[in-house]
Amino acid sequence: MRNIILEKVVQLFLKVMLIYSIYLLMRGHNNPGGGFIAGIIASTGFIFYAMIYGTEKIRTIMVFSSQQWIGFGLILIFISAIIPLMFGKEILTGLWINLENSAFGSIHLGTPLLFDTGVYLGVTGVILAITISIMEVLKWN
Amino acid sequence: MIKLLPILLGLLFVAGIMVVFLYPLLKKRLGLFLSLFPLLLFALLFVTIKNISSDYLLILHGKTEFLKNVFFDFRVDGLSVIFGLLISGIGFLVLLYSSWYMKSYERQGHFFMYLMLFMAAMLALVFSDNLITLFIFWELTSVTSFLLIGFDYHLEKSRQAALQSLLITGFGGLCLLFAAILMGQIAGTYQISEIISQNIDFVNHPQYNLVFILVLAAVLTKSAQFPFHFWLPGAMQAPTPVSAYLHSATMVNAGIYLLLRIQPILGGTDIWKYSLILSGVITMFLGAFFSMGQKDLKRILAFTTISALGTMVLLIGIGTPLSIEATMVFFIVHGLYKGGLFMVAGIIDKSTGTRDIYVLSKLFKPLPLTSFFAILSLISMAGLPPMLGFVGKELVYVAKIQLPGLSWVILPLGVGANIMMIAISLTIFFEIFYPLKNKSAIEIKYPEKKLPWYFIAGPIALAAISLILGIAPGGLNSLVSNALFVTKNKIIDVHLLLWHGFNQVVLLSIFAVALGVLVFIFRKHVNRFIHYILTWLNKLHLPTLFMKVLNTYLHLANKNTSRLQHGYHRFYLMTFFAVTVIIGAFQINWHLSELKPITGYTPVNINMLLLIIVGTLATIFAVFSKSRLSAIIAMGVIGYVVGLIYLLYGAIDLSITQLLVETVIMVLFVMVIYYLPNFALLSTRKSRIRDIIISLVVGFIVTLVVLHANAINIYEPISGFFAENSYLKAHGRNIVNVILVDFRALDTLGEVTVLTLAAVGVFSLFRFTVNKKVNNGK
Repeated sequence: MRNIILEKVVQLFLKVMLIYSIYLLMRGHNNPGGGFIAGIIASTGFIFYAMIYGTEKIRTIMVFSSQQWIGFGLILIFISAIIPLMFGKEILTGLWINLENSAFGSIHLGTPLLFDTGVYLGVTGVILAITISIMEVLKWN
Repeated sequence: MIKLLPILLGLLFVAGIMVVFLYPLLKKRLGLFLSLFPLLLFALLFVTIKNISSDYLLILHGKTEFLKNVFFDFRVDGLSVIFGLLISGIGFLVLLYSSWYMKSYERQGHFFMYLMLFMAAMLALVFSDNLITLFIFWELTSVTSFLLIGFDYHLEKSRQAALQSLLITGFGGLCLLFAAILMGQIAGTYQISEIISQNIDFVNHPQYNLVFILVLAAVLTKSAQFPFHFWLPGAMQAPTPVSAYLHSATMVNAGIYLLLRIQPILGGTDIWKYSLILSGVITMFLGAFFSMGQKDLKRILAFTTISALGTMVLLIGIGTPLSIEATMVFFIVHGLYKGGLFMVAGIIDKSTGTRDIYVLSKLFKPLPLTSFFAILSLISMAGLPPMLGFVGKELVYVAKIQLPGLSWVILPLGVGANIMMIAISLTIFFEIFYPLKNKSAIEIKYPEKKLPWYFIAGPIALAAISLILGIAPGGLNSLVSNALFVTKNKIIDVHLLLWHGFNQVVLLSIFAVALGVLVFIFRKHVNRFIHYILTWLNKLHLPTLFMKVLNTYLHLANKNTSRLQHGYHRFYLMTFFAVTVIIGAFQINWHLSELKPITGYTPVNINMLLLIIVGTLATIFAVFSKSRLSAIIAMGVIGYVVGLIYLLYGAIDLSITQLLVETVIMVLFVMVIYYLPNFALLSTRKSRIRDIIISLVVGFIVTLVVLHANAINIYEPISGFFAENSYLKAHGRNIVNVILVDFRALDTLGEVTVLTLAAVGVFSLFRFTVNKKVNNGK
């Protein structure tokens, strides 16, 4: 049975959750938040979406499969880990660049953000991989 | 010039690995191309031996220290040059040979890759001057020979043979590792040259016996000595080029090499002497004896190899300069004729389709060249003039005679083994090649004219060398004398002659030949006798016994695992809690005296109190609830309470994470709950009481630990460092996040990896069940 109100609400919920999770990811370094929390929040949005729309739809929404997202996360972490090696530092050392007076005011960018993004993608992927597997076993549609 | 050696060795390894890319380019010519590498090495060594003196020793120091005190050092001396020449020379011929032999096989690329790596490992083994690298290459030969023996992996027999050889030689390799470490510890260095030059008194060291037994185990397993000999006949499941190489110059001869190499360090004691002589004698005789009863040409040759290896171990055990000289010569002799004969067996197999000597007949006509040189090799195996085998066998006799005290045991058995060798050579000649025998000629698929030159070049070249060296054995003088210098540490002149004049050794030879001919004439009776013994011994069939032991071991391991990994979640939890409680209680008891009285409580916070009351109530509710859903919700409440407690103490990130995780778990639970069976009370009264006791004890201990946690501060907490440096060095105000992504990024990396693995586990488990269901549906 389709429930249009629920479907619309879940669509909106997913968008809000995604935007909120990215916001949490970005502010994570200075305020409560961070990759892990953001990852859980993003995956909550996807889980609710999957519960209403089923697993087939969620796959198309996510573009890549959850395993691939885990892979992207690990690749980002790997990149952030080896960037310092190219500058002659120890592996996983945080490197920073300052973008003063840019369009968004002064911005401080560094490899930890890349690392955190990797964690974010990884956690989202892991939770979704587990959830979708369970839903497929249950034939949730 | 010789300094190029490490580069060439490296090139062999690289060529082995590059086979992956070379094979699509070269296809059928791959073997011919690859044979250039050992040929280069052979040429290099050949040029080197022309102008070296007897006490020549060159150590090429490696630059990179890949383990502490372990370098890739190579040494070039008489001993390693002899082995190097044989390995690279026969390797060259084997590669030529296999480029045609393997042409009908699939996975040729794999074959050449394994063979090249095997060759490279074997060469690196004989040239390495470091005990640890020697061990590494030793094991590498075991592994690559496993891949080669099991090359026809679709046959259960070859898989089993490969596994057996790997397990046995791998076990020996481990023994060698322990021996190498012990020797390194005693000497303070792993360099063989330094160990020798330091003149350490190994022989009287209290751990000498242990070191020696470990080395002995390595040698006996690798060189297929009794009682570990049984893997070698099994190893003939490998394609014939591999057998030819394995038996003639490599693998099994690594044990001989090791013995010769460490003879100056460990040799000369009674235990060395008697254990080597004992196992050598038994192996020598048994190998020759069992080779008589076989039908398969390759199997016959495999048993004669065992016999020859026994002879060499025995000679090294005797340990006089003369016997070492005999070992060297015999090693060359054996390599030359055994390599050739195995290749001939392969040629016969290819051109007729069988290796049964009682089916084969009259091969001289279709395979004239091969047969001629095969007969030369057979003469060399029998130890008759004018082949090098005669020179070798005479020396062996001399060495055996001059051993006082033991020669009365060794000599008859040695002569017995030689009689068997002569008889088996005659049998092979008579059954396979003799043209006048009244057996119907076998059908030939490939007469010699259709075979390419490089396929039959191997046995021809080896037999020709054997003949030339037999007529003029003086060519080996300097080579053997060089090798002798290494083991005996003094210059000993070697004069090899084909004909020593008429003496007791020649008398022994004539006696052996006469008896050999006699055994050959009565071979039917002898064979029946051997078969009788074999069937009797088959009750004790060693390969089967070995497999039985192995299976019993696996069965035991399986049983033990299922005892520990029983699959009952509640017992896992109970084990976990019990261990925690015991360790915790032990620790508290341990530090009892150091515990300070607990003081300085903060006043009770009203919010905190409320949370604890809610949490406790939820716990009680969860325990006594009659419905699964409400129990799960109560568990969720406990989770939220914990999250709020974090919040009260200012750990915002932790609190958010806890709340979110709790939510996700709730959602998942609700999803699954519909599919779970009815909620029923399955536990007995007894088990409930047990659980109550466990939980009370756990609660008590944990409370104690928490109460005292403040009092136990062995090290200064690191949190101060994080708080100070979080913004200054890591540019972040959120300490938790900075710790996660910067200070302790490696931990986070590990955690993400663990999460990924968990996801992979869940995914593959569920995938499996989904697929199974789909399959059942069909």
